[in-house]
Amino acid sequence: MNNNYFESYNKRTHVIGRISSAIVLVMLVGAPFLIGKVLGAMPDIGAAGKAFLSVGLVWTVSSVVEFLVYTPMLGAGGGYLAFITGNLINMKIPCAVNARDIVGAKTGTPENEIVSTLSIATSSLVTIIVLALGVALLVPLQPVLQSPTLQPAFENVVPALFGAMAYKYFRGNMKIAAAPLIVMSILFILVPSLTGSTSFMIIPAGALAIGIAYKFYKKAGA
Amino acid sequence: MNILSLLNSAPMYAICGGIIAFVAVVCAVFMVRAYRAGLAMGIDRVKLKRAITSSATFSLLPSVGILLGVIALSGSLGTPWPWLRLSVIGALHYETQVAQAAAEQVGMSSLSAAEMTPSGFATIALLMSVCIMWGMVLSIFFNKRYLGKLGGGRKGSGGTGFGDTAMTAMFIGLVSAYIGSYIGGFVSGGGLFSFSGSFMPLIVVVVSGLVMAGFIYLAEKKKLAWVESFSIAGSMLIGMAAAVVVKLFM
Repeated sequence: MNNNYFESYNKRTHVIGRISSAIVLVMLVGAPFLIGKVLGAMPDIGAAGKAFLSVGLVWTVSSVVEFLVYTPMLGAGGGYLAFITGNLINMKIPCAVNARDIVGAKTGTPENEIVSTLSIATSSLVTIIVLALGVALLVPLQPVLQSPTLQPAFENVVPALFGAMAYKYFRGNMKIAAAPLIVMSILFILVPSLTGSTSFMIIPAGALAIGIAYKFYKKAGA
Repeated sequence: MNILSLLNSAPMYAICGGIIAFVAVVCAVFMVRAYRAGLAMGIDRVKLKRAITSSATFSLLPSVGILLGVIALSGSLGTPWPWLRLSVIGALHYETQVAQAAAEQVGMSSLSAAEMTPSGFATIALLMSVCIMWGMVLSIFFNKRYLGKLGGGRKGSGGTGFGDTAMTAMFIGLVSAYIGSYIGGFVSGGGLFSFSGSFMPLIVVVVSGLVMAGFIYLAEKKKLAWVESFSIAGSMLIGMAAAVVVKLFM
C-alpha cells in the first residue's frame, strides 16, 4: 500500500472534515435564529441557558466521552462524518464495526480508515434518503408505520440490533463478555432506575471489558 | 395561522431541507474520496463494495425506526425540525429528552403543540442544537491531534497491537450494557425482583441472536459469504417480527 498517498489523503480528509463540520455547526446553531426570524420571535437565551444547565451539561460530558471512545474506532473520515450525522450508538458505531469485520480490516490501519468512512457515509446517506422519502410520504405512510399491530416491531429496533450483534461478538469472546454482561445485569436488576442511563453505563461496561481483554492479551504475550 | 401550520410552512422546509442537502453532499464527497483512495491504495474493489452494501442494508431498518421518531415529534414540533434533527447530528434517545427539558424552561407543562409559542419553539430548537454539538466541536479541534497521538503510539509497538482487541472489547461492553438493561428491566422493572417488567426486548434479543447464528452458519459452513452483508438486517427484521407475533398472542 502506498503510504505517501494515504498520508496525503488523510491530511486532506482532516481539512475537508474540519471545514464541513464548522459549516454544519454554524448552520445548526444559526437555524433556530433564522427560524425565529421566520416565526417572528427569537429564542429566549436566558431560558435556553437554564435548560442547558439542567440537561445540557450531562450531554456535554457524554459528547466528550463519545469523542474519546469512538474516534479511534472510526478513524478520521468516519469520525468527522459520524459526529456530523449523529445516531452513533444505535446505528453508526455498530454499522462501522460490522463493515470492518465483514471486510476484515484491523483498527488503526489505512484499510480500516477507508472502510469506516465508506460505512458511515453510506449509513448516513441511507438515513437521509429514508427520512426524506418518509417525510415526503408522511400522510400515506403514517397509518402503516403507526399501526398498533406493527408498534412492537418498531419499539424493539435497538434490542433486535444488539441481539444480532451480541451473538456475533460474544461467541468468540465469551471470556471477555461474561463479566460485563453479568455485572451489568446485576446492576440493572438491583437499581432498575439505571435503565434511563444505559448510554452512560456503556462506559463502566466498556472499561471492564477492555480491562479483561488486556489481561488476556498480556497473558497471551507472556 | 396556528403554530403547527407555521412550523410546517414552506420556509421551515426550505431551511431544514437546505441543511440536510448540504450534509448529504458532504457524505457523498467523503464516500467518493474514500472509494477512490481505497482503489488507489490497492484495496480489493469487492471489499469496498461489500462495505457499502453491508452498511446500506444494515442502516435500512434503524432508519425506519428513526423515521418513527420524526413522526412522534412532529405532533409537537412540526415535521421539518425533527426531520432535520434526526437526519443530521441528532439521536433518537436524545431529542425528546432535551426538547422536553427546554419546554419546561420556557414555561410549558409538557412538549405539546397546544402550548407551543413561536418564541418557545425557537428556544427549544436552539437548546436541541447546542446540547449535542460538542462531538462536532471536539472533532474540529482535536480529531487530528488525537488520532495522531494514537497512531504515534502504535508505531512503536508495531502493527495494530492491543488497539483492535480494545475496540472489540469496548463494543462488547456496549452490547452488555444494553442487554443487562433488558434483563434488569424484566426482573425488576415492575418492582425489585418482581419479574413483571417487559420481557419483549429479551425475546427480541434471543430471536435476532439465533437468526444471526443461522446466517453465520450459512456464511461459514455453507460458504455463502454474500449472506453476511444481509445478516444484521435479516436478523433484526425477524427479531422485530417476533415482537409483533408475541404481542398478537399475549
